[in-house]
Amino acid sequence: MLLKRLGWLRLLAALMAFSLVAAACGDDDDVATDPPAEQTDGEGPPAVEDSSAAGEVTVGVLVPLTGELGEFGAIVADAIEFGVSEINDAGGTQCGMIRTVVADTGGDAETGIREATNMIESEGAVAVLGPTSGVMVALVDLAKREEVVIMSPYAGTITLNELGGDFVYRTVSSDLGDGAASGLWLSSRGYESVAFLIQNEESTISPAEVARGAVETSGIDITDFVVYNPGQPSYQAELTTVLANEPDAIFLAGGQESGVTVIKEAVVGGFDGEWLFTADLAVPEIFDAVGAELINDVAFVEFADADPSLPEFISFEERYDAAGDPFAPNSFDMVTLVALALEASGQCDGAGVNSVIRDVADSDGTLVSTFAEGQAALAAGESINYEGASGPLVFDESGTVSGAYTIQQAQAGEWVNIEFYPASTFDG
Amino acid sequence: MLFLQFLTTGVVTGCFLILATIGFSLTRRVEGFLNIAHAELLGVGAFTTWWLNADKDWHIVPAGVAAIMFTALVGLFVARLIYDPIRERGPAVLLITSTGVAFVIGGVIDAMIGTGIRTLEIGLATSYEPFGIRITNYQLIVVAFAAVVSVSLALFLNRTRTGLAIRAMSVNPDLAASRGIDVRTTSRATWLLSSGLAGLAGVMLAVLATLTTDLPFAQILQILAVAILAGLGSLYTVILSGLIIGIAMDVSVYWIPAGYRPLVAFSLVILVLLFRPEGLAGTRAA
Repeated sequence: MLLKRLGWLRLLAALMAFSLVAAACGDDDDVATDPPAEQTDGEGPPAVEDSSAAGEVTVGVLVPLTGELGEFGAIVADAIEFGVSEINDAGGTQCGMIRTVVADTGGDAETGIREATNMIESEGAVAVLGPTSGVMVALVDLAKREEVVIMSPYAGTITLNELGGDFVYRTVSSDLGDGAASGLWLSSRGYESVAFLIQNEESTISPAEVARGAVETSGIDITDFVVYNPGQPSYQAELTTVLANEPDAIFLAGGQESGVTVIKEAVVGGFDGEWLFTADLAVPEIFDAVGAELINDVAFVEFADADPSLPEFISFEERYDAAGDPFAPNSFDMVTLVALALEASGQCDGAGVNSVIRDVADSDGTLVSTFAEGQAALAAGESINYEGASGPLVFDESGTVSGAYTIQQAQAGEWVNIEFYPASTFDG
Repeated sequence: MLFLQFLTTGVVTGCFLILATIGFSLTRRVEGFLNIAHAELLGVGAFTTWWLNADKDWHIVPAGVAAIMFTALVGLFVARLIYDPIRERGPAVLLITSTGVAFVIGGVIDAMIGTGIRTLEIGLATSYEPFGIRITNYQLIVVAFAAVVSVSLALFLNRTRTGLAIRAMSVNPDLAASRGIDVRTTSRATWLLSSGLAGLAGVMLAVLATLTTDLPFAQILQILAVAILAGLGSLYTVILSGLIIGIAMDVSVYWIPAGYRPLVAFSLVILVLLFRPEGLAGTRAA
C-alpha cells in the first residue's frame, strides 16, 4: 500500500513538473510561439544571386500573416509595398529597384530566424522589416553577425532597449513610453492618491514602474502597487486593500480578461473614482463587457498613436488609403528610411544602411518626407532629415524613436479623443 | 477588519476550488487516474452557459442547468470513446491521454468561440456588507453551491445504491465486481457525476469571471494543488483542502504581494507533503 501511494506521489510530482512546463510553454505561445505557418510570396523559388548586380536590391518583409497578430502583419506588409511602389516609381535607389521577399512568421521566433536567414543568405536581403517583438529579439544576433538591418514598426518590448541600436531599429516607441504618457496623464488630473493594478507581465510592469516614478515625483500618494496574475475567476483579494485605501484613481494595466473582472469587482466594491487603462482595453468591446454605465465619463485609456496633425501624416493619408490602419505609417517609414540610407551611403548592403540610417533620419539637412524628395536632395549634394509619416524619427541609443500618445475618455459608450501627447512632449 | 475581508474572500476562493476539484478527485479515486481534461470540462460548462445565456437569451438558471447536463454528457462521451478502450494500459497512459483530450476539447472550444472575451447577461453583482465585511450575491452563490454539493455528495455516496457502489469501486474494483457490482454502470455514473460537477464549476466560472478560452485550463494547477493536498482518502478532505488553499492564497495577500498567490498554494502543498506524504486524508479509504 505504501509503495502504491509513493508511486502515486511520484506520478503527481512528475505531473506537477509537466504541468508547470506546459504552462510556461503556453505563455510563450501567447508571445511568440504560435504554431508555425510559413508562407513565402510568389516571387519564385529562392535564388542565390547578388540582387544589386541584377539591378535590384532586396528587402525582406518578415511579418506574422497568420496567428494572433496576422491582421497587423498584413497591414505592415501592405504599407511596406506601398512605400516600395513610391520608391520604384521614383526610379528606385542607386542600387536598383527595391524587390521585396515576403515571409510569414506566424509570430513564431524559430520560424522568424529560419525565414530571415533564408532572406539574407539566399535572397541577399540588405534589410529585414516587420518582425514582432519576440521575433525581433530572436533576430538580434543574426542581424549583427550578418550585418543586415532589422527594423520593426510595432515591437515595443523593453528587451530591445538593451539590445537595439546597431543594425536593430524600430519606428515605434518602447513600451516605456506608454509609462511616461500614463504618468503624465495621472499627474495632470489633480489626484491626491492613485492605486496601481498591474498584470504580471514584463510589458505591463516596466511601463507601470515608469508611470509610478512620474506620479511619485508629482507628489501624488500611491496607495497600492499591486501586481496580479491573470487567469483568475476573481480578483477580490487583490482589490481588498486597494478599495480600503479609497484612491482617487486606479491605473489598471491589464488584459481584457482580468481588466473587465477587476473593473466590475471594484465598482461593486464601492470604487467611484476615475480609471486609466492601457491599450488592451482601448477597444469598443469593453463597453459591452463591463457595462458602459460603469465607465462612462470616469474611464480613460492611453495608447501609442500617430500624430494626425503632422503634415507628413496628412500627406501620407492623401496618398495611401489605409494610412489610418495601426502601424501603417510606421511601416511606410521603415522602407523609405532603408531606401534613403541606401541612396545616401553609396553602398548596397546592410552595413551601408546601418552606417547612415541615423543621419538620414535626424540631421540639420533638408527636411524631406518622401523618397523622391530625399533622392533629389541627396543628388544635389545636400544632407537630409527624413520626417516620417509616423512622426519625427529620432533614434535613441537603442535604435528606438520617441512615440506620440493619445488619451481617450469613455463617453456615452465609446472612446473619444481628449488629449494628445506628441513625441516632442517626451524629448529630453 | 481588513484581515477578515481577506479571510472572507479566501473562503469564497476555497469554495470555488472545492467545486472545481471535487469531480476531479472523484474521477481519480474511482477511475484511478488524473483526468487533466477535467479543467477543459469547466470550459464546456462555462461556454455552454455563455452561449445559451448571452447568445440565445436564456435565463441563467435554465442555461446553467442545461450546461451542467451537457458537460456531464460530454464527459461520459469522452470517457467511453477515449478512456474505456485504453483503461487496461494503466494510469500513466490514461493521464497522458487525458492531456491530449484537454488539448482537443480546448481546440474545439477555441474553434467554436474564437478569440476575445465573453461575459454573461446577468447584470452586475450586488454587494452586501454584514459586519463591515463585503461580499457579493455571486460570491454567496458559490459558497452555497459548494455547501450544497458537499452535503449532497456525502448523502449520495452514503445513502444511495449507486453511491455505495462508487465507494466500493474506489476502494477495490475487483472485489466490488466480484460482489456483484456492475462496474460499467458504476463507472458511467461516476463520469456523469464528476463531469456534471465540472460543468457546475464552469457555470460558476462564467458567473464570476470574464471568459476567455484560455481561462478554464488556467485553473488546472490550483485543481491539482487542492487534489494533491487532499490526498487519496475521503472526498471530504477535498473540502478541507480547497478551503485551506483558498484561504491561504487570499489571506497571504495581507502580508506578501498578490503576484505570489500561486506560490503560496504550492508551498503549502510541498510543506504538507513533507510532513504527511499521503496528503491530508491519510490512507486510502472510503
